Amino acid sequence: MPEQQLPAAGPTPAPPQRHFEDVTDGQELSPVRFPLSVYRLVVAAGANRDFNSIHHNSEVARASGAPDMYASTTFLLGMWERSLRQFIGAAGRIRAITGFRMRSFNVAGQTVVVHGRVTGRRRQGGTGLVDIEMWSDNGQGVSVGPGTATISLPCREGAT
Amino acid sequence: MAPTEEWMEAWQPMIDAVGRDFGGQVLVGADRVEPGTIRRFLEPLELWSPIHEDDEAAREAGYRGVVAPVSSLLSYQLPAMWASGDPGVFVDADRNAQPARSPVRPLVPDLAPPTTGYFATDIELELLGDLCVGDRLTRRGNVLLSCEPKRTAVGLGAFTTWESAYYTTDEALIARIRTGLYFYNPHTEDDEHA
Repeated sequence: MPEQQLPAAGPTPAPPQRHFEDVTDGQELSPVRFPLSVYRLVVAAGANRDFNSIHHNSEVARASGAPDMYASTTFLLGMWERSLRQFIGAAGRIRAITGFRMRSFNVAGQTVVVHGRVTGRRRQGGTGLVDIEMWSDNGQGVSVGPGTATISLPCREGAT
Repeated sequence: MAPTEEWMEAWQPMIDAVGRDFGGQVLVGADRVEPGTIRRFLEPLELWSPIHEDDEAAREAGYRGVVAPVSSLLSYQLPAMWASGDPGVFVDADRNAQPARSPVRPLVPDLAPPTTGYFATDIELELLGDLCVGDRLTRRGNVLLSCEPKRTAVGLGAFTTWESAYYTTDEALIARIRTGLYFYNPHTEDDEHA
Protein backbone atom coordinates (compact mmCIF):
# COMPACT_ATOMS: atom_id res chain seq x y z
CA MET A 1 0.00 0.00 0.00
CA PRO A 2 1.49 3.39 -0.90
CA GLU A 3 2.45 5.67 1.92
CA GLN A 4 -0.38 8.02 2.75
CA GLN A 5 0.19 11.54 1.52
CA LEU A 6 0.91 13.74 4.50
CA PRO A 7 -1.07 16.96 4.67
CA ALA A 8 0.90 20.14 4.32
CA ALA A 9 1.53 21.72 7.69
CA GLY A 10 2.42 25.32 8.38
CA PRO A 11 4.81 26.44 11.07
CA THR A 12 3.62 25.68 14.56
CA PRO A 13 2.91 28.91 16.44
CA ALA A 14 4.94 29.48 19.58
CA PRO A 15 2.93 28.79 22.72
CA PRO A 16 2.01 32.06 24.45
CA GLN A 17 4.13 32.87 27.49
CA ARG A 18 2.07 32.42 30.60
CA HIS A 19 3.01 34.26 33.79
CA PHE A 20 2.44 33.25 37.37
CA GLU A 21 -0.27 35.87 37.73
CA ASP A 22 -2.21 34.26 34.85
CA VAL A 23 -2.66 31.00 36.74
CA THR A 24 -5.63 30.31 38.98
CA ASP A 25 -6.34 27.49 41.41
CA GLY A 26 -8.36 24.79 39.72
CA GLN A 27 -7.40 25.98 36.24
CA GLU A 28 -7.39 23.13 33.75
CA LEU A 29 -4.80 22.46 31.08
CA SER A 30 -6.10 21.83 27.58
CA PRO A 31 -6.41 18.05 27.16
CA VAL A 32 -3.95 16.64 24.63
CA ARG A 33 -4.80 13.51 22.62
CA PHE A 34 -2.22 10.92 21.62
CA PRO A 35 -3.66 8.28 19.27
CA LEU A 36 -1.40 5.21 19.60
CA SER A 37 -0.91 3.44 16.30
CA VAL A 38 1.76 0.78 15.80
CA TYR A 39 3.44 3.26 13.48
CA ARG A 40 3.67 5.88 16.21
CA LEU A 41 4.96 3.42 18.81
CA VAL A 42 7.71 2.33 16.40
CA VAL A 43 8.68 5.95 15.70
CA ALA A 44 8.74 6.58 19.46
CA ALA A 45 10.97 3.58 20.15
CA GLY A 46 13.40 4.70 17.45
CA ALA A 47 13.43 8.22 18.82
CA ASN A 48 13.79 7.50 22.52
CA ARG A 49 15.87 4.31 22.14
CA ASP A 50 13.73 2.21 24.47
CA PHE A 51 13.84 -0.80 22.19
CA ASN A 52 12.34 -3.22 24.71
CA SER A 53 10.24 -5.40 22.39
CA ILE A 54 7.14 -4.96 24.55
CA HIS A 55 6.91 -1.47 23.04
CA HIS A 56 6.94 -2.46 19.37
CA ASN A 57 6.25 -6.18 19.03
CA SER A 58 2.77 -7.54 19.77
CA GLU A 59 3.89 -11.16 20.03
CA VAL A 60 6.54 -10.42 22.62
CA ALA A 61 4.22 -8.07 24.52
CA ARG A 62 1.47 -10.72 24.69
CA ALA A 63 3.94 -13.39 25.79
CA SER A 64 4.92 -11.08 28.64
CA GLY A 65 1.31 -10.92 29.86
CA ALA A 66 0.31 -7.60 28.30
CA PRO A 67 -2.67 -7.34 25.93
CA ASP A 68 -0.56 -5.86 23.11
CA MET A 69 2.49 -3.68 22.51
CA TYR A 70 2.33 -0.62 24.71
CA ALA A 71 3.77 2.85 25.15
CA SER A 72 7.04 3.11 27.08
CA THR A 73 7.69 5.15 30.22
CA THR A 74 9.69 7.69 28.26
CA PHE A 75 6.95 8.13 25.67
CA LEU A 76 4.23 8.49 28.31
CA LEU A 77 6.38 10.94 30.27
CA GLY A 78 6.89 12.93 27.09
CA MET A 79 3.12 13.18 26.74
CA TRP A 80 2.94 14.90 30.12
CA GLU A 81 5.83 17.15 29.11
CA ARG A 82 4.06 18.23 25.91
CA SER A 83 0.91 19.05 27.85
CA LEU A 84 2.92 20.99 30.44
CA ARG A 85 5.05 22.81 27.87
CA GLN A 86 1.95 24.01 26.04
CA PHE A 87 0.75 25.47 29.33
CA ILE A 88 3.98 26.99 30.66
CA GLY A 89 5.52 28.31 27.43
CA ALA A 90 9.22 28.71 26.70
CA ALA A 91 10.11 30.54 29.93
CA GLY A 92 8.41 28.04 32.19
CA ARG A 93 10.39 25.21 33.74
CA ILE A 94 9.45 21.75 34.89
CA ARG A 95 10.99 21.33 38.37
CA ALA A 96 9.69 17.97 39.50
CA ILE A 97 7.30 15.18 38.61
CA THR A 98 5.98 12.81 41.24
CA GLY A 99 3.29 10.16 41.24
CA PHE A 100 3.88 9.16 37.62
CA ARG A 101 2.47 5.68 38.21
CA MET A 102 1.55 3.56 35.21
CA ARG A 103 -1.59 1.81 36.34
CA SER A 104 -2.46 -0.03 33.15
CA PHE A 105 -0.96 -0.65 29.74
CA ASN A 106 -1.42 2.04 27.10
CA VAL A 107 -1.61 -0.20 24.06
CA ALA A 108 -1.65 0.21 20.30
CA GLY A 109 -5.16 1.03 19.17
CA GLN A 110 -5.95 3.24 22.15
CA THR A 111 -5.91 7.01 22.39
CA VAL A 112 -4.24 8.44 25.46
CA VAL A 113 -5.56 11.81 26.61
CA VAL A 114 -3.44 13.84 29.04
CA HIS A 115 -5.19 16.10 31.52
CA GLY A 116 -3.97 18.59 34.09
CA ARG A 117 -5.38 20.85 36.77
CA VAL A 118 -3.70 23.50 38.92
CA THR A 119 -3.77 22.50 42.58
CA GLY A 120 -1.42 24.96 44.23
CA ARG A 121 0.53 28.20 43.70
CA ARG A 122 3.22 29.95 45.66
CA ARG A 123 5.98 32.51 45.17
CA GLN A 124 9.64 31.80 45.73
CA GLY A 125 11.66 34.97 45.24
CA GLY A 126 10.88 36.32 41.80
CA THR A 127 9.58 33.00 40.57
CA GLY A 128 6.14 31.51 40.80
CA LEU A 129 5.83 27.83 41.57
CA VAL A 130 2.72 25.97 40.52
CA ASP A 131 1.63 22.42 41.33
CA ILE A 132 -0.38 20.73 38.61
CA GLU A 133 -2.19 17.46 39.07
CA MET A 134 -1.60 15.40 35.93
CA TRP A 135 -3.16 12.20 34.64
CA SER A 136 -3.51 10.18 31.47
CA ASP A 137 -6.67 8.40 30.39
CA ASN A 138 -6.54 5.60 27.82
CA GLY A 139 -10.30 5.31 27.32
CA GLN A 140 -10.58 2.65 30.01
CA GLY A 141 -9.85 4.97 32.91
CA VAL A 142 -6.81 6.67 34.40
CA SER A 143 -3.80 4.79 33.05
CA VAL A 144 -1.02 7.05 34.36
CA GLY A 145 -1.09 9.04 37.57
CA PRO A 146 -2.65 11.01 39.01
CA GLY A 147 0.65 12.64 39.82
CA THR A 148 1.98 16.11 40.39
CA ALA A 149 4.16 18.28 38.22
CA THR A 150 5.77 21.27 39.90
CA ILE A 151 6.56 23.98 37.41
CA SER A 152 7.94 27.50 37.66
CA LEU A 153 6.72 30.53 35.78
CA PRO A 154 8.08 34.05 35.51
CA CYS A 155 6.26 36.71 37.48
CA ARG A 156 5.12 39.99 35.93
CA GLU A 157 5.55 41.70 39.27
CA GLY A 158 8.88 41.73 41.04
CA ALA A 159 9.68 39.60 44.05
CA THR A 160 7.40 40.32 46.95
CA MET B 1 6.53 -25.31 51.34
CA ALA B 2 3.91 -24.01 48.93
CA PRO B 3 5.23 -22.76 45.57
CA THR B 4 3.96 -19.24 46.25
CA GLU B 5 6.02 -19.06 49.44
CA GLU B 6 9.11 -20.28 47.61
CA TRP B 7 8.98 -17.56 45.00
CA MET B 8 8.45 -14.93 47.65
CA GLU B 9 11.31 -16.24 49.76
CA ALA B 10 13.62 -15.99 46.76
CA TRP B 11 13.32 -12.20 46.98
CA GLN B 12 14.45 -12.02 50.62
CA PRO B 13 18.12 -11.22 49.77
CA MET B 14 16.90 -8.22 47.79
CA ILE B 15 14.63 -7.12 50.62
CA ASP B 16 17.62 -7.36 52.97
CA ALA B 17 19.65 -5.21 50.55
CA VAL B 18 17.27 -2.23 50.58
CA GLY B 19 19.35 0.91 50.98
CA ARG B 20 22.40 -0.50 49.21
CA ASP B 21 23.94 1.23 46.20
CA PHE B 22 24.41 -1.28 43.37
CA GLY B 23 25.72 1.34 40.95
CA GLY B 24 29.33 0.28 40.81
CA GLN B 25 30.06 2.02 37.54
CA VAL B 26 29.33 5.35 35.95
CA LEU B 27 27.15 4.87 32.89
CA VAL B 28 27.94 7.28 30.10
CA GLY B 29 25.35 8.11 27.48
CA ALA B 30 26.21 6.92 23.99
CA ASP B 31 26.10 10.36 22.40
CA ARG B 32 26.28 14.01 23.23
CA VAL B 33 23.00 15.85 23.01
CA GLU B 34 22.51 16.98 19.43
CA PRO B 35 19.82 19.10 17.75
CA GLY B 36 18.92 16.19 15.47
CA THR B 37 18.30 13.72 18.28
CA ILE B 38 16.19 16.30 20.13
CA ARG B 39 14.12 16.83 16.98
CA ARG B 40 13.63 13.11 16.51
CA PHE B 41 12.71 12.66 20.18
CA LEU B 42 9.99 15.30 19.86
CA GLU B 43 8.60 13.96 16.57
CA PRO B 44 6.33 11.16 17.88
CA LEU B 45 5.18 13.49 20.67
CA GLU B 46 4.44 16.34 18.26
CA LEU B 47 5.93 18.59 20.91
CA TRP B 48 7.24 21.94 19.80
CA SER B 49 8.84 24.79 21.70
CA PRO B 50 11.52 27.22 20.50
CA ILE B 51 13.74 26.24 23.45
CA HIS B 52 14.21 22.83 21.84
CA GLU B 53 15.42 24.13 18.47
CA ASP B 54 16.42 27.81 18.57
CA ASP B 55 19.60 28.71 20.45
CA GLU B 56 18.70 32.39 20.79
CA ALA B 57 15.20 31.66 22.03
CA ALA B 58 16.56 29.12 24.51
CA ARG B 59 19.09 31.63 25.88
CA GLU B 60 16.39 34.29 26.14
CA ALA B 61 14.42 31.81 28.24
CA GLY B 62 17.40 31.39 30.57
CA TYR B 63 18.98 28.19 29.27
CA ARG B 64 22.65 27.68 28.33
CA GLY B 65 21.52 26.87 24.79
CA VAL B 66 19.07 24.58 23.01
CA VAL B 67 17.75 22.35 25.77
CA ALA B 68 16.68 18.71 25.65
CA PRO B 69 13.21 17.82 26.94
CA VAL B 70 13.22 16.57 30.52
CA SER B 71 11.51 13.37 29.41
CA SER B 72 14.56 12.56 27.27
CA LEU B 73 16.96 12.13 30.22
CA LEU B 74 16.42 8.38 30.29
CA SER B 75 17.25 8.23 26.58
CA TYR B 76 20.42 10.30 26.73
CA GLN B 77 21.80 8.26 29.62
CA LEU B 78 21.65 5.00 27.63
CA PRO B 79 25.04 3.58 26.69
CA ALA B 80 25.53 2.33 23.14
CA MET B 81 23.92 -0.95 22.15
CA TRP B 82 26.97 -1.77 20.07
CA ALA B 83 30.29 -0.03 19.50
CA SER B 84 33.28 -0.66 17.31
CA GLY B 85 35.17 -3.71 18.59
CA ASP B 86 32.22 -5.17 20.47
CA PRO B 87 30.96 -8.66 19.63
CA GLY B 88 27.70 -8.71 17.68
CA VAL B 89 24.39 -8.19 19.40
CA PHE B 90 22.16 -9.35 16.54
CA VAL B 91 23.13 -12.99 16.38
CA ASP B 92 19.80 -14.78 16.10
CA ALA B 93 17.41 -14.65 13.13
CA ASP B 94 14.37 -15.79 15.09
CA ARG B 95 11.54 -13.32 14.48
CA ASN B 96 11.33 -12.31 18.12
CA ALA B 97 14.98 -12.84 19.05
CA GLN B 98 16.32 -10.40 21.58
CA PRO B 99 19.71 -8.73 21.21
CA ALA B 100 22.60 -10.43 22.97
CA ARG B 101 23.03 -7.28 25.06
CA SER B 102 20.79 -4.31 25.58
CA PRO B 103 21.43 -1.07 27.46
CA VAL B 104 17.70 -0.81 28.07
CA ARG B 105 17.70 -3.83 30.36
CA PRO B 106 17.84 -2.68 33.96
CA LEU B 107 20.89 -3.46 36.03
CA VAL B 108 19.73 -6.30 38.26
CA PRO B 109 21.97 -7.52 41.09
CA ASP B 110 22.86 -11.18 41.32
CA LEU B 111 20.92 -11.22 44.58
CA ALA B 112 17.65 -11.13 42.65
CA PRO B 113 16.07 -14.40 41.55
CA PRO B 114 16.04 -14.96 37.77
CA THR B 115 13.09 -13.38 35.96
CA THR B 116 12.17 -13.26 32.30
CA GLY B 117 10.01 -10.16 32.28
CA TYR B 118 10.06 -6.66 33.64
CA PHE B 119 8.35 -3.36 33.12
CA ALA B 120 8.53 0.09 34.61
CA THR B 121 5.74 0.96 37.02
CA ASP B 122 6.43 4.52 38.04
CA ILE B 123 8.96 7.30 37.91
CA GLU B 124 9.78 10.42 39.88
CA LEU B 125 12.00 13.22 38.64
CA GLU B 126 13.70 15.89 40.70
CA LEU B 127 15.01 18.33 38.12
CA LEU B 128 17.94 20.47 39.27
CA GLY B 129 19.55 21.63 36.03
CA ASP B 130 19.36 21.51 32.26
CA LEU B 131 20.61 19.11 29.63
CA CYS B 132 21.70 21.17 26.64
CA VAL B 133 23.16 20.60 23.19
CA GLY B 134 26.78 19.51 23.57
CA ASP B 135 26.28 17.94 26.99
CA ARG B 136 26.87 14.26 27.58
CA LEU B 137 24.83 12.66 30.31
CA THR B 138 26.23 10.29 32.90
CA ARG B 139 24.32 8.24 35.41
CA ARG B 140 25.74 7.44 38.83
CA GLY B 141 24.48 5.24 41.59
CA ASN B 142 21.71 2.71 41.58
CA VAL B 143 20.32 2.64 45.10
CA LEU B 144 17.68 0.05 45.90
CA LEU B 145 15.00 1.93 47.84
CA SER B 146 12.37 -0.79 48.17
CA CYS B 147 11.56 -4.37 47.20
CA GLU B 148 8.12 -5.87 47.61
CA PRO B 149 7.30 -9.34 46.23
CA LYS B 150 3.82 -9.48 44.77
CA ARG B 151 1.64 -11.67 42.59
CA THR B 152 0.03 -9.62 39.81
CA ALA B 153 -2.16 -10.29 36.79
CA VAL B 154 0.93 -10.86 34.63
CA GLY B 155 3.05 -13.03 36.92
CA LEU B 156 4.99 -13.61 40.11
CA GLY B 157 7.70 -11.13 40.98
CA ALA B 158 8.62 -8.07 42.95
CA PHE B 159 8.10 -4.33 42.78
CA THR B 160 11.40 -2.52 43.23
CA THR B 161 12.37 1.15 43.40
CA TRP B 162 15.80 2.52 42.42
CA GLU B 163 17.43 5.94 42.59
CA SER B 164 20.16 7.32 40.38
CA ALA B 165 21.78 10.73 39.94
CA TYR B 166 22.35 12.30 36.55
CA TYR B 167 25.26 14.58 35.73
CA THR B 168 26.48 16.47 32.70
CA THR B 169 30.10 16.01 31.73
CA ASP B 170 31.08 19.18 33.59
CA GLU B 171 29.98 17.47 36.80
CA ALA B 172 26.77 19.42 37.21
CA LEU B 173 24.08 17.41 38.96
CA ILE B 174 20.94 17.96 36.88
CA ALA B 175 18.51 15.33 38.13
CA ARG B 176 17.71 12.64 40.61
CA ILE B 177 15.39 10.02 39.20
CA ARG B 178 13.58 7.30 41.08
CA THR B 179 12.31 4.44 38.95
CA GLY B 180 9.92 1.66 39.88
CA LEU B 181 10.42 -1.67 38.14
CA TYR B 182 8.41 -4.87 38.39
CA PHE B 183 10.51 -7.96 37.72
CA TYR B 184 8.50 -11.13 37.18
CA ASN B 185 8.05 -14.51 35.63
CA PRO B 186 4.80 -14.81 33.66
CA HIS B 187 2.21 -17.11 35.18
CA THR B 188 2.44 -20.81 34.47
CA GLU B 189 -0.49 -23.19 34.70
CA ASP B 190 0.86 -24.40 38.06
CA ASP B 191 0.95 -21.05 39.82
CA GLU B 192 -2.31 -19.87 38.25
CA HIS B 193 -4.02 -22.75 40.07
CA ALA B 194 -2.02 -22.24 43.27
